[in-house]
Amino acid sequence: MANSLFEEKINSNGFLVTTEIGPPKGADVSEMVHHIDLLRDKVDAINVTDHQSSVMRFPSLGGCLLVKERGGEPILQMTCRDRNRLALQADLLMAYSRGIGNVLCLTGDSIDVGDHKEAKPVFDADSVQLLKMIKTLESGTDVGGNDLKGAPEFCVGATVHPEADFIEPQLVKFEKKVTAGAQFFQTQGIFDLASLRRFMQYASQFDVKILAGIIVLASAGMARYMNKNVPGITVPQAVIDELAGAEKGKGLQKGIEIAARSIKTISDENLCHGVHIMAVGNEGIVPDILDAAGLDAVHS
Amino acid sequence: MIVAEQKPLEEIRRMITPYNRVLILGCGTCMTVCDAGGEREVSFLHNALRLAQVKSGTGNHTFSEYTLKRQCDTEFLDLLAGRTYDLDAILSLGCGIGVQTIAERFPGLPALPGVNTSFMGVTKESGVWDERCAACGDCRLEETAGICPITRCTKGILNGPCAGTKNGKCEANQDMDCAWILIYKRLEQLQQLEKMRRYYPLRNFGTIPRPKRIVSKAVTAIGVNDG
Amino acid sequence: MDSAITDNNQGYQVDRTEKPSLNHSLMPPCQVACPLHMEIREYIDLVAQGRTMEALQVIRSGNPFPSICAYVCTHPCEDACRRSQIDKPIAIRASKRFALEFGGDRMIQAEAETTQQERVAIVGSGPAGMACAHYLRKLGYPVAIFEAHSELGGMLRVGIPQYRLPREVLDTEVQRLTQMGVEIMTNTRVVSLDLLFDMGYKAIFVTIGAHQSLRMGIEGEQSTGVIDGATFLREVNLGLKPSLGEKVAVVGGGNVAIDAARTALRLGADRVNVLYRRSRAEMPADHTEVEQALEEGVEIMFLVTPTRIERRNGRLSVTCIRMELGDADDSGRRQPIPVENSEFDEEFDTLIAAIGQVPQTPGDFRVGIGRGSTIEVDPVTLTTNRPGVFAGGDAVTGPATVVHALAAGKLAASRIDDYLRHRYPLTREETRGNLTGDLLPETVDMIRKVGRLEPPVLSPEARAVDFKPVELVYDWETATNEARRCLRCGVGAEILFQDKCATCLTCLRVCHYHVPYLDASGTIQIPVDQCQACGICVAECPAKAITLRKPYDRRHITEELDHIFKSAAESKLETLIIGFCCQYGLFGTGTLASLWRGAKAGVWVVPVLCMAKVEGDHLLRAFEMGAEGVFIAGCGEQCARENTEFWVRQRVEKVRKTLAQIGLEPERLQAFVPGAVDEDPAGELDKFVEKVGGFYLASLVTQEVKS
Repeated sequence: MANSLFEEKINSNGFLVTTEIGPPKGADVSEMVHHIDLLRDKVDAINVTDHQSSVMRFPSLGGCLLVKERGGEPILQMTCRDRNRLALQADLLMAYSRGIGNVLCLTGDSIDVGDHKEAKPVFDADSVQLLKMIKTLESGTDVGGNDLKGAPEFCVGATVHPEADFIEPQLVKFEKKVTAGAQFFQTQGIFDLASLRRFMQYASQFDVKILAGIIVLASAGMARYMNKNVPGITVPQAVIDELAGAEKGKGLQKGIEIAARSIKTISDENLCHGVHIMAVGNEGIVPDILDAAGLDAVHS
Repeated sequence: MIVAEQKPLEEIRRMITPYNRVLILGCGTCMTVCDAGGEREVSFLHNALRLAQVKSGTGNHTFSEYTLKRQCDTEFLDLLAGRTYDLDAILSLGCGIGVQTIAERFPGLPALPGVNTSFMGVTKESGVWDERCAACGDCRLEETAGICPITRCTKGILNGPCAGTKNGKCEANQDMDCAWILIYKRLEQLQQLEKMRRYYPLRNFGTIPRPKRIVSKAVTAIGVNDG
Repeated sequence: MDSAITDNNQGYQVDRTEKPSLNHSLMPPCQVACPLHMEIREYIDLVAQGRTMEALQVIRSGNPFPSICAYVCTHPCEDACRRSQIDKPIAIRASKRFALEFGGDRMIQAEAETTQQERVAIVGSGPAGMACAHYLRKLGYPVAIFEAHSELGGMLRVGIPQYRLPREVLDTEVQRLTQMGVEIMTNTRVVSLDLLFDMGYKAIFVTIGAHQSLRMGIEGEQSTGVIDGATFLREVNLGLKPSLGEKVAVVGGGNVAIDAARTALRLGADRVNVLYRRSRAEMPADHTEVEQALEEGVEIMFLVTPTRIERRNGRLSVTCIRMELGDADDSGRRQPIPVENSEFDEEFDTLIAAIGQVPQTPGDFRVGIGRGSTIEVDPVTLTTNRPGVFAGGDAVTGPATVVHALAAGKLAASRIDDYLRHRYPLTREETRGNLTGDLLPETVDMIRKVGRLEPPVLSPEARAVDFKPVELVYDWETATNEARRCLRCGVGAEILFQDKCATCLTCLRVCHYHVPYLDASGTIQIPVDQCQACGICVAECPAKAITLRKPYDRRHITEELDHIFKSAAESKLETLIIGFCCQYGLFGTGTLASLWRGAKAGVWVVPVLCMAKVEGDHLLRAFEMGAEGVFIAGCGEQCARENTEFWVRQRVEKVRKTLAQIGLEPERLQAFVPGAVDEDPAGELDKFVEKVGGFYLASLVTQEVKS
């Protein structure tokens, strides 16, 4: 019995499509709601990011509630940077009680890359420990060893970085996450499908679903900025050049083209189990990408 | 060894403003090694403060200088006892431990911190110090081939690297190596990679309730045989 | 009640490092090797600074007749110099000559006061006799020298050719003796010591030298045309010009033989052959003399000795036999053994026999004679078997060197003084240790190799025609550069205050030469025989626990600053600029020496021995005492030590940071370290002075605006 709609989708063998929405820096959620409405029927689930890049924003839990309200399937992104084990467990109990059934467990970007550089980093747990924490809660106790009055149940996922420049330690951690109970993985941005193939050759031995992360770039400058400042993302020179070669004002168009091309190949060749589209700050164009990639819009 | 950095001169000058007769007190152990508060630094700071006073025309301080072998044991501070009657403040260039010990030993005299105590670390080369130990009280260097993930990983995580490492460097500080990549490589060299494959559960932060105390002496009763 | 903290020395912690009287230096190998134990390290350092007058003072305090040594000393100091472990030894003798010629050596020698009654007679006026007279006279004794020849000097006068020791140099030194009040009786040959005692002398120093040439012991050596070397040289020095013919042979391998050969050339001989029975390696003559002789055209036939001389047709027919080397004999040199049937004949016009000399002591002296006809003496007290009769110099040792004779004369003076004052003749122990030990390979590797700068000599063609001195004196730049090669053995760093040392390892890390090390007990050791006294670790030690073993500066830098500010206050200067200037090289004597004279108004120089000794504290004090601008001037690539510029720049940056925090322009502090040859340090300095003047005016304006 699946813990969520998304888990059902995972258990089936269809091509999975997820995307993510970044909450606003403020209390005005109108634009976020608009994006939710736009996307909720086009994808299998929507991630709501959790202070992505350590920039303070409207919380992921709140965003997931909105997704649920508007009829979408939310994935709660939970980082360990800002909350200790009490707060993490509490938020999980709350999420479950409100019908949010999917959690993506992350360690979280470091404070230094964000906009509150003097804040205290928590990191009471890391991503693997968070996965285990969820399993513990599901078994009816908290991590302090105390019995719960009502245990939650989740479909849990984590991240992996197939394009890391030194891959072995990442693979060790990946296996630990699988052992800790991760059911699905959304990867960091994939730009080189050959590395995805290599990764899948190794990862296919595990009974987990891999969704390739697709980042939509709007310009060469953006690509360079991300290379320099955003952790976990390395845009290859060939892609930067292709973006740079686009007509003036057509950068985003080119980015969509590149993204759609990757998605189509992944889907056609069944390279992995699905894609996770990251259109940072450009959530509105996700439908265009899906169209361009020729993906069926019916995924709910 | 404890590593500190001398506070900026403006901050020190601001701190000593209310006090007339100030003793600049150096420390002959850690602070000497890290170039923050040994006898030479005491002398340099003394000269700088006097020069600042002369050039600015403000301030009416009288400085004296002294360096103790250590400031964290009261027996060393006892060497000053009876001779502080004409002081208004002690500007200590010892670490935070020293400043507090001075305050406890001479409660009537304001003890001012002249350095920012920063970390426990190692001298990489003359003039360069790196943090190495966070005094977590639960040392796990056996599991990580002698490289501390608490100090050298910016996030202090225990189950392997995050996705932020690029070219072997940390996402937060591109001059610092990713500790987990170092750990992986060294475990590989020692043929102990299975240590990294283990699951390490949540840390016991209860090892550091503050302020901590370690007692090594046992409680015994005198004159009673316990045979 | 205990004294307040502030009572310590006007508010300062008693700085134990500032005591200038500490001297833990070791005697360097050059000084140990010198029979007179001259303070060579000290005067070489003064020469490196261009302070020739003071170098001369040091030299004269150790040697009564230094100009003689400057020309002819066999320099055992150079043979012991540790610089040879890097490249070549320091040219100490030539440096001494430089100091003498440029140090304003004045002729005036004050007359010594006579404070004692006992009269002393000195028989013979060679270097031993002259030295003994000098020191006895200084002790206050009435002294008389009896010299058989018409002029004083002994072997110096009659044995050493003038192209090595010019007449005037010797005369000048002799004149000092006269001015001191030594009674001199020339043309007076002493035949009996009893007579001298009868005349009232209470002690006699017999120093008649070794002038009697040894016979070769071969047939025909009495023939006309055969002369002995000592006689030959004496005649030439007395002004005679013996006619030698065209072809001259000289038999022997010592300095006398080489002197005779080169003299023969200068008298017009076309060909001069030296016949020596051993090989080049065993030749006792000074290596440089041999080189110069060969350059001048003297030919040396090795492993050859004459066996018979026959006068034939107005020429000498000399039969020689070839030799080969066998086992070592008593002198440690391999014995020459005649090769059978290897005789050959050669014709010469003159043959000079210079195979050695012995003393010729009159039997009437009744002193004990030992091996080689030398006078026997007690090695500690220099007394002969007759009480009151002392002996020294070549008469005791056989032919030796000038400096050994000087040392013997000096020792004799103090022994005679002991005797006359009825003191027990103790052997005086040297309280300071000697520096022994070679440089370690890891230190040798880090020392920059610089070739030895030889003093200029006349070309062989120019010199073999007359008796002009062959060797010329250094110029300023060469002399100071050569003297800077000195490693300063024995005055290096030491951890004076072991209790202050935190074993932070800074000294170990900053030393370019890998000198400080951690011993087995975890204590830092700075081995004195490796350290070259650059002073970097002294300035960098965070605990101020290290000093140099001998206070190097005349005045400590802080005292110098105090002195300047007192003077500046009196002269009421407006903008005062302080320059910490290295005294070696460029600033001592070179292009920037003019800074000494305060060429720019308001620029006052604090002399330092290498800018590595200037610390942050000194710079701050200079500003505190009122300097508007401060600069440090060093030698850059020419610095005798490595890395000095790096550390000075570190200190400058640190002080600049502090200046900025105080509200002073960091550019008020500047380091001038010329690197490229065509830089203009003087011009840079001018610009700096202008800029500082600008700052000063600006600050005046701001003050006016404020008020």
